[in-house]
Amino acid sequence: MKWTIHPAKLLLTLVALPALLIPALALGYIVYQGGAVISWQFISTSAELSGFGASSGVFSQLAGSLLLAVGACIVATPVALGTALFYQLSNNSRLCHHLELLIYLLQAVPPIVYGLFGLILFVQIFSLGVSLIAGMLVLAMVLLPMLTLNNITSLQRIAIEQTDAARALGLTESALVLRVWLRQSRRELITGQLLAIARALSETAPILFTATVFSGVVWPDSLLSPVTTLQTHIFYLAQEGNHPQSIDVAWGSALVLVITIVLFSLLARALKPSGGNL
Amino acid sequence: MISNSRLSNITAPVQHPTTALQIDQLKLSIQGQPILHEISLSLPTSGITALIGPSGAGKSSLLHCINLLQQAWQGEITLHQKSIRQWPGGDEKLRRHIGLVAQKPTVFPTTIYRNVVFGIDGFWQRRNAHAIAEQALRQAALWGEVKDRLHAPAASLSLGQQQRLCLARALAIKPKLLLLDEPTASLDPKSKQLIEQALSQLASHIPLLLVSHNLEQAQRLGEQVIFMCEGKVIEQADCDTFFNHPQRVESKEFLRWAVCECD
Ligand SMILES: Nc1ncnc2c1ncn2[C@@H]1O[C@H](COP(=O)(O)OP(=O)(O)OP(=O)(O)O)[C@@H](O)[C@H]1O
Ligand SMILES: [Mg+2]
Repeated sequence: MKWTIHPAKLLLTLVALPALLIPALALGYIVYQGGAVISWQFISTSAELSGFGASSGVFSQLAGSLLLAVGACIVATPVALGTALFYQLSNNSRLCHHLELLIYLLQAVPPIVYGLFGLILFVQIFSLGVSLIAGMLVLAMVLLPMLTLNNITSLQRIAIEQTDAARALGLTESALVLRVWLRQSRRELITGQLLAIARALSETAPILFTATVFSGVVWPDSLLSPVTTLQTHIFYLAQEGNHPQSIDVAWGSALVLVITIVLFSLLARALKPSGGNL
Repeated sequence: MISNSRLSNITAPVQHPTTALQIDQLKLSIQGQPILHEISLSLPTSGITALIGPSGAGKSSLLHCINLLQQAWQGEITLHQKSIRQWPGGDEKLRRHIGLVAQKPTVFPTTIYRNVVFGIDGFWQRRNAHAIAEQALRQAALWGEVKDRLHAPAASLSLGQQQRLCLARALAIKPKLLLLDEPTASLDPKSKQLIEQALSQLASHIPLLLVSHNLEQAQRLGEQVIFMCEGKVIEQADCDTFFNHPQRVESKEFLRWAVCECD
């Protein structure tokens, strides 16, 4: 086969390659640095070392991250799905147009602003304190726009003929929702929730001053107690840790976090109905 | 010259106790685009009425207005002398009396059996769902082919079988009016004949509105013919009169050259 260099292809490669290579290098570096630290013991214990918050294990941080992310998704799901169903049922009305606008607006709000809002509303006014529940609520607000849009898209993939056929048989709106819409889009919806959990796991700003403390917590006693998370753990260790081991623990925590997020993303990918691209 | 709308006003039959479905002055626009213009027609309490006309005439749109899948119309539609807009119990209750076989066969992504019983509602009907399903499948000339694989996915059926499944599904709700949008479009002559027999039998006690592009079929089955073109009813007449002595120029042209130019 003759080698020909297509100018457009060359240009695209020159643009795309560094763009993919640099994050790939960063990932490789995390794996390299973190790999030296993590072990089963690192993940499964939460013993604290004496010193500045550098624990030798990250179990409680991992558990805190997962509790917050899954909890936020559970809080956000009924609202997102309800909004999506409402949107679908009142299709093409003016209200839908405004609703869509609102969702895009909410998506533009930076997570740190939600964090600030959560600090004032949940932590102070509702006096929930710095707690698991406050963090879940704030994270749920961060997730809501993307989750709603995702659910709307999932429902919109159902062919209009399916809806018409079900309506023509005299199904009530609720039967239509349960027996046709939710049934046919259930895998896509679950994919959306898993991606939302992955997204929540990578958020730090909203939980920084609503849900997490720096050290001293191993396991939250109730929804009202604070937690520690991988994200904030890395943040504190990198910024303030003075224990010689703390930077290693930060790399290890980063790798655990990346692996957790990747697992959720891969699960979402695996559950996604076939025929979808990306 | 008298406009078409005026003419259809005059020819519109008066409400009659033997009228099952009556449509008066039906107008439909979608996004400012007029689709149906002042449609007036009526269906007797039994028998097949063939709805013919060129592609894009508005036949499917008309069927969707009758079972309120399309709601954006003006005018009046009555079923057994009751306005369908104010149907007791709402749109869903109305649709339980009207079976629709859509132009594009659409099966639900579940088993064959569950497709047939999808619309069955009510305590007694659900208890007898199996018997009702069998009867509906027999009427739709599909029972023989699927009786051993009722729990296979409906999507595994051929297109023609899916079309018959849609007919069975519509029959299983025991409609009092059946709307059929080219129900034999993708069928072989044998099953077409079986379906036609089943439809003729059904037509002895309920009215059928049958959209067909096949003029022979319309002539064979129809007692009445409604000819539509560009959103208007050009002529409604009984079958023999329409095919042998069409009244309107447009009808004559359509029968002779299968073209229609009306304005
Ligand atoms: N949802 C819609 N939006 C815009 N226009 C529509 C819509 N549905 C139908 N139409 C238009 O209405 C007209 C009639 O369509 P309809 O499907 O009723 O025709 P038909 O007589 O059933 O044709 P065919 O024999 O090809 O099925 C067409 O011009 C079509 O473009
Ligand atoms: Mg059509």
